[in-house]
Parts: sequence; C-alpha cells; structure tokens
Amino acid sequence: MVYIAIISLISGIVCGQWIFNERWIHFFTNQSQYVLYILLISVGISVGLNKQVFQKVKEYHLKILLMPMGTIIGSLIGGLTASLLTNVSWYDSMAIASGLGWYSLSGVMITDLAGIQLGTVAFMSNLMREIIAFIIIPYVARTFNKYTAIAPAGATSEDTSLPMLIKFTNEEVVVMAIFHGVLCSVAVPVLIKYIYIFFR
Amino acid sequence: MEVLIYMLIGIVIGFKWFPLKLKKWNERIQVISISILIFLMGVTLGSRPNFLTDFLHLGLESLLLAIIPIIFSVLFVYFITKYFFK
Repeated sequence: MVYIAIISLISGIVCGQWIFNERWIHFFTNQSQYVLYILLISVGISVGLNKQVFQKVKEYHLKILLMPMGTIIGSLIGGLTASLLTNVSWYDSMAIASGLGWYSLSGVMITDLAGIQLGTVAFMSNLMREIIAFIIIPYVARTFNKYTAIAPAGATSEDTSLPMLIKFTNEEVVVMAIFHGVLCSVAVPVLIKYIYIFFR
Repeated sequence: MEVLIYMLIGIVIGFKWFPLKLKKWNERIQVISISILIFLMGVTLGSRPNFLTDFLHLGLESLLLAIIPIIFSVLFVYFITKYFFK
C-alpha cells in the first residue's frame, strides 16, 4: 500500500507539472471529492460489517474526545518547538502545525492570513504530514499501540489515512479514527484563525 | 459534515444489506480510490508553476514543521492511551 501511495503521488506530481494542461488539471481535481465519497461509503461498509464496533464505541464514550485533544496539543507544542529550529516565527509555526495534515485548507487559509510564502510552507508541511503519517502508521501501531497510530494522521484520520488505519489496526480503532478526524477537522480552521487573532 | 453523512450511508449499507462475500471487493475499492486520491493530490501539488523551486527552498522548513508536530502528537496520544484506556 505504501508503494502504491508513493507511486501514485509521484505520477500525480509528474502529470501536474509536465503532462496535463490547465483544463485537465481542473477536470481531474474537481473529481476528487466524488472519489472521496466513494471511499467513505466503502469504509462505512467495512465498519458496518463489523458488528461489535458499536458496542465498543459505547464503552469508550468520553475517552473518544481525549485522543483529538492529545493530537492537537501535541501538534501545537511541536509547532512551537519547530520554530526554534526554523526561520518561522512561533505563531506562524503554531498555525502551520495546527493544519494537522489538512494541507488544502491550511495552505489556503495561511496564504490569506500570512502571505504566499508561509502559505506554501503550510501546504507542503501538511502534505508531508499526511504522507509521513501514511508511511509510519504501521510502525507506530506496532511500536506504541494501535490507538496511537491515529495521532500522526491528525485531521486526515477520517479520509486519506483511513485505509492505512483499516489495514494496520482494527475496526474499533477505525471508528475512533473517524471521530478523531472529524473533531480535528473542525478544529483546524478555528485554531488557525484564533492563533492569528490572539498572537500576532 | 458531508464526510459523516457518506460514512453513515456506508455503515447502514454494511450493517443491513452488504453481502459478506463481497468484503474483498469492498477492500479493493478502497485501495483503488485511495490511489486515485493520492494521484490527484500529486496533480494539485505538481500543477503549482514553481513547484520544484518552492520545494527545494522551503522543503526543509516544511519537513521540520511536519515531523516535530507528529512526534509530539504521537507521544501525547500514547500517554493518553496508556493512562486512560485501561
């Protein structure tokens, strides 16, 4: 799966940079949400087929909220730490880290709020987070535990990273990953906006 | 929110009607659609006119801003699962 992912990514970049013209690019990227919907329904079917999952979610209830909190706080502290090693200011750095892997939104928002240079860093850094998450999920699941494998994925744990989580964890973790992804996705725009309002 | 709605549709289908025999095919659909999504992500990325120069200039900063938050997220969530998920 990781190889398929890397091959898809590289061939996408090659097509975007050299092969497709603008009309094709628009055509293709406009289809991506439909592909995502197909994926979501298909993942839903996987979850629905596994009947014990719902029992487990009931058992965990409030604990489901703790994981996104850990991911968000960890990312913010990670952003602060990273600002010590880069030329990015601490609040820009925190805003970029609070993209939580949602590169399209954080790229656009930070371009708007802080300029194209930082917007590009936000885009690339969050894209890298998604790709790195994709690659390390199996290792995190093995080294720490299956729940922790959700953390690197951030906001992408409900969509792009989900197939990896399905493959390397279990249905119970997958359901938590969906909640985690939804809550993180809601948090991303709020965090970016308020970091700039309060700290700049 | 759409994400949840589509997911719920899938869950209902899976719970009520989906034949267990076709489970393998359902998993294949996931692999195919994720590959397409990643390909399209690459297209979006590659279609930025100065992608390569941007990438080389800002690549290291971006990488640090990806890796360090990942490390801290993993550590925080690990401790949460260790102390609260017993």
